[in-house]
Amino acid sequence: MRLKNMVNFKLRLKQSLSLAAPGLLLAGMLSGCATPPPKSSVEDYQAYKQLNDPLEPTNRVFYKVNNTLDQYAMKPVAKGYVHITTQPIRNHVSNFVANISEPERLVNFMAEGQSRDAGTSLVRFLLNSTVGIGGIFDPAAALGYPKTDTDFAMTLAIWGVPPGPYLYLPVFGPSGVRDALNYPAEMYATPMYAAPETDALDDFGYAETGLHLINSRAAYLQPIDQIQATALDPYATFRSLYRQSRDSEVQQIYDRNKLTPPDWVQTPKQ
Amino acid sequence: MYLRRFVLGAAIAAPLLAAVSGAAWAQAVSPDEAKTFINQSGQQLVGIVNGPGSMTQKANQLRLLVNQIVAVDQVGDYVLGRYINVATPAQHQQFQALFHQLLSYNITYQIKAYEGVSFTVNNVMPQGGGVVVDTTITTPGHAPADVGWVVQDVNGQMKIIDVIVAGTSLRITTRNDYAAVITDNGGNVSALLSAMQNQITKIASAQ
Repeated sequence: MRLKNMVNFKLRLKQSLSLAAPGLLLAGMLSGCATPPPKSSVEDYQAYKQLNDPLEPTNRVFYKVNNTLDQYAMKPVAKGYVHITTQPIRNHVSNFVANISEPERLVNFMAEGQSRDAGTSLVRFLLNSTVGIGGIFDPAAALGYPKTDTDFAMTLAIWGVPPGPYLYLPVFGPSGVRDALNYPAEMYATPMYAAPETDALDDFGYAETGLHLINSRAAYLQPIDQIQATALDPYATFRSLYRQSRDSEVQQIYDRNKLTPPDWVQTPKQ
Repeated sequence: MYLRRFVLGAAIAAPLLAAVSGAAWAQAVSPDEAKTFINQSGQQLVGIVNGPGSMTQKANQLRLLVNQIVAVDQVGDYVLGRYINVATPAQHQQFQALFHQLLSYNITYQIKAYEGVSFTVNNVMPQGGGVVVDTTITTPGHAPADVGWVVQDVNGQMKIIDVIVAGTSLRITTRNDYAAVITDNGGNVSALLSAMQNQITKIASAQ
């Protein structure tokens, strides 16, 4: 009975999250859109187009909602977590969570045509899952296979899909139309999804997600406080940081995709 | 993961969040000289943060140091962006004064969080008319963060004009922050000046 309930719950969760991004987009479009400046004021209109945040009024509402949730739930829990753990423990938790996502990165690197990165991802997963005791340790990095980021949205970016308007999602935070597609994609690209359904696996999945959220929030404690205290408009600051960071990550994939000659190739003397 | 990296790094470099600008007049900078410049500046900064003295004394020392190593005026102009053409000379002057003041307060606000800070200088990469000096900054209880310092020749002197963290430029971030305030208030630069003044008052009362 419990198994059946859990399966139904998981299915409902997946369905609702898969529908969340387009649903929220639609809700935003229907409820609050920013008013564009007239095309006659060229500079203002260009700035508006460059900002690409037509749902800003709605996004700002969600930003406030998230702040309230964070203030009364996530932040106090994260502070307690920091109080009872050390930085090395938090690093191990981070390694463990990153290792679970490694197959997802492997698939995405393959889809992006990044064979070298895909190979690195594969070696990392095999090495860290075994020698690294389930990913708690990261011996692969020490052996010259450092972690490199990618996800489904970055794969779409490599395929030429534009980022689309900025979105600030409830609970999930800064995102975009393209990036929001990560959430449903991530659910189907974990080792837990591929394994046979069991109660223990479900419980592990929830525990892992919870730990990941708390560990990530704990890493942000000081930085988020700092940005909120020093920025004139924290919403705009987070939006700017998020966009630059995503653009940079896609650029890094392109930059890494430079062919280098093997060591045995002799370069002609100048 | 990416969110963690950029937010962490952004905060670590935040004492200089308001301190960065593109300089069209920049001349070529030697990578080795830039590396030495960042190494010396970093040692001075670490010495002040970890050294003896009250918070006020440290804040004053840091303010002097930042004015020496950062092109604050040029950074201010960059941050004001296209609104520099909208602002009156008086508003521009007031903006620069507030910008300097806000920078000082932001630095003071964060001194305590960075006690025990250390850093190492890594690679140097050319960028535009200047160079980016990569460093790793470590603060106790936090994961190390990679921070790049963009150095250019400004009026014959080497100055920091931008801070790059996980691919995010802090001068662009600050410009977007300030532009949002102006845009939300119908393009009035006076709204930005009021917001900056309010921020100074808020931080001052919290200290």
